[in-house]
Amino acid sequence: MMWLNLAWRSAWSRRQALAMVIVSVSVSVLILLGVQQLREDAKRSFSNALSGVDLIVGPRGSATELMLYSVFQIGRPSRNMGYEGYVALSQLPQVQWAVPIQLGDSYLGHPVLGSTPEIFSRFNSQGRGLQWAQGRAFADPLSTPEALSEVVLGAEVAKRFGHKLNDKLVLTHGQSSGLGTEHEDHPMTVVGVLAPTGAPIDRSVIVSLQAFEAIHVGWGMGISPSAFKAAGGAQQALDIKDLQPSSLSAVWVGLHNRAEVFSARRKIESLERGQLMAVMPGVALDELWQIVKVVENTLLLVGMLVAVSAMLSVAAVLLVAMAGRRKELAILRAMGAAPLALMGFVLLESLLVCVTGIVLGFVLCQAFLLLGQDLLRTEFGVLVQAGWPPLQAWWALGALGGVALLASLVPALRAYSLSLSDGLHPPSV
Amino acid sequence: MTHALQLSHLSHAWGHSSPLFDIAQLSLLQGENLFIQGPSGCGKSTLLGMLAGVISVSHGQLEVLGQDMAGLSSVGRDRLRGEHMGVIFQQFNLLPYLDVQANVLLPTRMFPSRALAATQEWGDAQSQALHLIQTLGLPQSVWHQPVNQLSVGQQQRVAAVRALMGSPRLLIADEPTSALDEANQLEFLDLLLATARRQAASVVMVSHNPQLAHRFDQVFAMPLRGHA
Repeated sequence: MMWLNLAWRSAWSRRQALAMVIVSVSVSVLILLGVQQLREDAKRSFSNALSGVDLIVGPRGSATELMLYSVFQIGRPSRNMGYEGYVALSQLPQVQWAVPIQLGDSYLGHPVLGSTPEIFSRFNSQGRGLQWAQGRAFADPLSTPEALSEVVLGAEVAKRFGHKLNDKLVLTHGQSSGLGTEHEDHPMTVVGVLAPTGAPIDRSVIVSLQAFEAIHVGWGMGISPSAFKAAGGAQQALDIKDLQPSSLSAVWVGLHNRAEVFSARRKIESLERGQLMAVMPGVALDELWQIVKVVENTLLLVGMLVAVSAMLSVAAVLLVAMAGRRKELAILRAMGAAPLALMGFVLLESLLVCVTGIVLGFVLCQAFLLLGQDLLRTEFGVLVQAGWPPLQAWWALGALGGVALLASLVPALRAYSLSLSDGLHPPSV
Repeated sequence: MTHALQLSHLSHAWGHSSPLFDIAQLSLLQGENLFIQGPSGCGKSTLLGMLAGVISVSHGQLEVLGQDMAGLSSVGRDRLRGEHMGVIFQQFNLLPYLDVQANVLLPTRMFPSRALAATQEWGDAQSQALHLIQTLGLPQSVWHQPVNQLSVGQQQRVAAVRALMGSPRLLIADEPTSALDEANQLEFLDLLLATARRQAASVVMVSHNPQLAHRFDQVFAMPLRGHA
């Protein structure tokens, strides 16, 4: 107790230098823990980017590609699946619901997603459903023909272009925004804006399947109806019943019982002469995550190196400080303190500094995660869970504690050898 | 009569060089004072280090307070010093981050036997400290003062108070007066010697200043190198 008190008073008298050391330790711990926790949270968020969907069905091909375009709207489908496949799988007894996804068009660089109104009640990201910032879902065009020109905007799209309810907008054919590919003959009206979710749907423009179809009516060979007409193409009459698409990009499927996911997958994949593929989003996303493993490990390595360099700076600063503490050590030695006791005295201080830094870093990390929770969710789609860090972070902290002990030993051993060699007579500084 | 210290044929050499000193015979009765005089570089401080137990005895015999220093471990010598000796340096005796009170009470906190000695005689350690502060001519108001607010002379007196806490049997002083001006030197020395005598403590002091020698019971001149 006496030594602890003495170490505390001694440290307090040098608090400015030691505070800097503590800050450097805590920043390194903050980085190390932050990287670990964000990594875990990002991974979990990635895997939960589309929750509540048990299977994603698309044309046979690459599961990764299917995930990328149907969940993240990255890339584009190279092939479509037949509409009959959607109809057939909807009738399977295991299937509770099926939401079709149609992709291909864009609005000022944002993907247009064609679906049914059911998508708004079925969509789930990080376990949270969709909320409306303004307005409502588009109506079902089969009962309400006006729904053909209704559009719903994701939060980011609305924010970026400042769109409000009842704004008119013109979608673009395909992903380019080149001349003559606008659907100007079919302007859409904003009827709803979604609240931010952090999921890719924030960047999407959502229309009904029929609307998606209707804006393409009259298009032939990739040129607009007016151009097509001028070229002598036949103009078709518009009937809602005829606006059923012949093919789809993907279908999101929810099952009555998640335990049946494997048998449901087999059933779906045997439909349509084996033309369909069904993937489990969580599994496929985990596989996708493996691709970024290198980045992940690099971040971890950087975090570790920062932490080790902080510990080395602790050792360096405290070692330099030993020169100024020779008198202090000689005084204590004259009063009967053994060199080993003095070594412990110095070790105590270094450990106090390291432990304080580590605890402070932990607290800072949690505080930042708590403060940044909303920002991380809405801007990056990462759902953070402040609280106890993941198991791996504990290992890292333990390793850091070990390094801290080693770093603390450097000045302590110096104190030991100084008190032996100086005895009662430190060279006057 | 017991001896505070007894040594014979004590010599010391750093490494393989020729001995720094070689003392044939020296002894001091408990309660008496010894003045060790010699020019700088003659090994006075090394001798003090051996008496205090921070430098081990390699050649010859040294008994301090009845203990054979060669037979004690380094920890044992540290313990002997902590429990039964007080040490005063030329200056910078006090820990700058503690106030006078904490500095003075430190020996009794480090070694329970010293706290016990102070308690048996004075009721508690603080009573002895306040008494010693008065005896050594310090105002009571220094008690809570930070040590860097004290003059050098006051600091030396506080150092003497600390060294005398818990009634040690031997006081080792290395040029304790040389940081003081001449008028203060004798006054401080007389107070120190008188207080130590009242506590029946022996004082061993080294100094290069022969004018202080007549205040001591015994004077020992360090043998010059090569003349031992």
